[in-house]
Amino acid sequence: MMNIFFKNYKPFIAIPIILLIVSLGILVNNYAQNGEWFARSIELRGGTLITIALENPVDIASVQSELSPEFGTLVIRELRGFSGYKLLIEADENIDSDSLIKKIEEGYPVTGFSVETMGPALGEAFWYQTQLAIILAFIMMGVIVFAIFRTLVPSAAVILAAMSDILVTLALMQVFGIELSLAGMAALLMLIGYSVDTDIMLTSKLLRTSGDIVDKLKNAIKTGLTMTLTTIGVLVVLIIFNISAVLTEIAVVLFIGLVIDIINTWLQNSVLLRWHCERKGIQ
Amino acid sequence: MIKYWRLMILIVCLLGSILAIGFKIYPYGREGVEITYISLESPARNMLEQGMIITHINGQQVINVEEWQRLSGDLSGTIEITANAKPYTFSINDTIGIDVMDIERTNMEFGLDIRGGTRIILKPTENATAEVIDEVISTLQTRANIYGLREMRFYSIRGLDGNYYLQIEAAGVSKDIVDELLSRQGSFEAKVSKPVILEGDQGTIVLGDKSYSVSLSSDDSIQIETVDDKIELSDTFILKGIDFQYLNATEDGIMLLATTYTGKDIELVYSDPQRSGIRPFGEGYSFYFAILVSNDGAQRFADVTSGIPKHIDLVSGEEYIDSQIFLFIDGSLVSQLNIGSSLGGHVYNSPQIQGSRETLEEATEEKFRMQTILRSGALPTTLETSSIDIISPTLGAGFFQSAAIAALFGGAVIVIITFIRYRKIKVSVPLVLIGLSEVVIIMGIAATNDMYIWGIVMLVNLAIILTAWWKKEPIDFFAWAGALLIPILGMMSWTIDLPAIGGIIAAIGTGVDHQIIIADETIAGRKKEDENQAIFDVKDRIKKAFFIIFGAAATTIAAMVPLMSLGIGLVRGFAITTVVGVLVGILITRPAYAKIIERVVKR
Repeated sequence: MMNIFFKNYKPFIAIPIILLIVSLGILVNNYAQNGEWFARSIELRGGTLITIALENPVDIASVQSELSPEFGTLVIRELRGFSGYKLLIEADENIDSDSLIKKIEEGYPVTGFSVETMGPALGEAFWYQTQLAIILAFIMMGVIVFAIFRTLVPSAAVILAAMSDILVTLALMQVFGIELSLAGMAALLMLIGYSVDTDIMLTSKLLRTSGDIVDKLKNAIKTGLTMTLTTIGVLVVLIIFNISAVLTEIAVVLFIGLVIDIINTWLQNSVLLRWHCERKGIQ
Repeated sequence: MIKYWRLMILIVCLLGSILAIGFKIYPYGREGVEITYISLESPARNMLEQGMIITHINGQQVINVEEWQRLSGDLSGTIEITANAKPYTFSINDTIGIDVMDIERTNMEFGLDIRGGTRIILKPTENATAEVIDEVISTLQTRANIYGLREMRFYSIRGLDGNYYLQIEAAGVSKDIVDELLSRQGSFEAKVSKPVILEGDQGTIVLGDKSYSVSLSSDDSIQIETVDDKIELSDTFILKGIDFQYLNATEDGIMLLATTYTGKDIELVYSDPQRSGIRPFGEGYSFYFAILVSNDGAQRFADVTSGIPKHIDLVSGEEYIDSQIFLFIDGSLVSQLNIGSSLGGHVYNSPQIQGSRETLEEATEEKFRMQTILRSGALPTTLETSSIDIISPTLGAGFFQSAAIAALFGGAVIVIITFIRYRKIKVSVPLVLIGLSEVVIIMGIAATNDMYIWGIVMLVNLAIILTAWWKKEPIDFFAWAGALLIPILGMMSWTIDLPAIGGIIAAIGTGVDHQIIIADETIAGRKKEDENQAIFDVKDRIKKAFFIIFGAAATTIAAMVPLMSLGIGLVRGFAITTVVGVLVGILITRPAYAKIIERVVKR
């Protein structure tokens, strides 16, 4: 398999391209059905999120049935980690969170709680701001990448890879039912950074050193995979330990993004670069 | 030795950071609890203050919050509390009304999402200007001070939609207290002292066109014409419709205190440039503003201040009457002012208030505070809640423990993966240790009150790099930048909240990536080359690695810088921490790691 890739590399670009097209399909389908490209979390659209830390695991259905007569329909999820169990309860921004927490305290041993309420107007403002943040970060990244390599194809390939990383990750988040939150936005920003790291390493090795291109590529793959795997390893630790909802969310989104980045860096960016080198006769 | 100047600079920065994080003086011992809030009903109000350290209660040592809760739970009768090494005695009827927290062990400021508390974002119901928001903040700050909530933070935030928001952060304080702060309007009273001169035991109280005879008894009680009862010390009475209090008997007379204005009488506090401002005065700045008072209030003031002798203040050269005006909110004295001689005995509807302070900032602040007080704490605009976050401290309690264990495991994962790749423990262990030192340095830079520590770090760094330069070590621009810029950054401080921790993870993650690039370039490159060439080659290859690293770091920093200017919440702390972390990486830790690898490869 690896040998086929090193000999006849061009067809492999089909994999990331199909992935990107399917992802765009998912996002467009989402837009057609809900009027939104992807699902946003409470802090980006408004509402109340009550997090309750518990000593023991609970049956979500029974909590649901205990709360619904008084508080109406609620979205209840459970988070498990080494640091205990957490119930995440979503409601609109007018819910009486104090009495809801009291009600749960009656039935279960509660070790801690947090309540986040976001008004719809402020949620929209946050949403607008974070979108702007991602776009600004992306533009600045592109400018610097162009400044470093000063050639069109390699620079465009780096930017395309980062863009595909973000779009495919967003689509996969929809598939796994992960809403985009501020933490997820932070993860996407981090993803831009990690994605560019491996791409710049790859581009530098192929374009700025002399030698057999397959050897250089093999070298780059070794380095790049070590880089990505150490990061993924640490993210898995973060997910298992589940220290806080925010960090776990960052880790999950980044984990998805980095797996996608492996595909986009090595099956898309490296293929484009090799093609570019062969066409220009760069050794 | 000086060959390893890059490592020396890393170690100096690391030691500086450890000191910046952990060096703290405990004037009242390491054991005790810090007061965060004293309720209005508390018997200890006006005795104890927020920020004091309680070490003993009824002679028993208080070590932490749990101990405090156990000991203070069912107290009654007279109790003694040792706070800031002084004993305070008071008696409890109902509740002690004191909230406490554990003494901070570090100089780090942790966000509410880690240590618990309440964060509220408020939006003015009508479009408000920056000035209005500043006024609101000033009002709330004054209220918070009156209620003893000095740790409460107020920020104005400008949304991208052009609207201004108000963010309140209160660590270790529950939502109820914040609600009370927002809803409660202080009741304002202005009282004027009125000295009455007696000849023998007899005298006259002059109130404008009326005068009342007064006589002092030997037991210090007084008898006033038209007032039936005998008046004892601190008794209240009414004369000409004005509320008076009998304060004390002095050598040549008696001192009365008259309520001239209440909140109802202050119709307007002017803040327009014609009627308010600040100007240089002597060696400082004086501020002034006019207020509009009701006719009744103006009349009362004129009555009370009539017939009072004048004196010239030797410092300012201004002429004042021999009484002062005292401003109270909820019965607490918040300010006192002299009364200009031109005001005494006259009916003025728009008197001017003035004062002076040493600096422009102080004068501005005091003017704001006075205006706030006179508005009797009424907010200039109504506010609606946009967002509330309440985080119970216990949710944050286990955080550091789990974070430390996770960091340990994360480090182990990196050691294992890189060891599998390089089969050299001398490559993978320093890689992780340097990553951890980066965490410490970022935290040290974020720590508060560390100016001196970082100043010393900068001097030591300068000494190291000058010696290295003297010994003809190759020192480039980035080495100078690292040695000097990092200590300067160190003097900054910002709150470590969850987004900032995300930023630390991002910085360390790219850091580890870059160290892998260094290790790969040098180690992998060495195998194929001629041994004789190795020394030259290592430096050359490290240079190549640094081209990649600087490129990657530049993109990360460029991506984060625009985010630092975005106001609200998550993105900012994340961006600052990431940028600082990346700078520490490329300027200090990455060169140090390259030096280690260079040595490993040469052997």
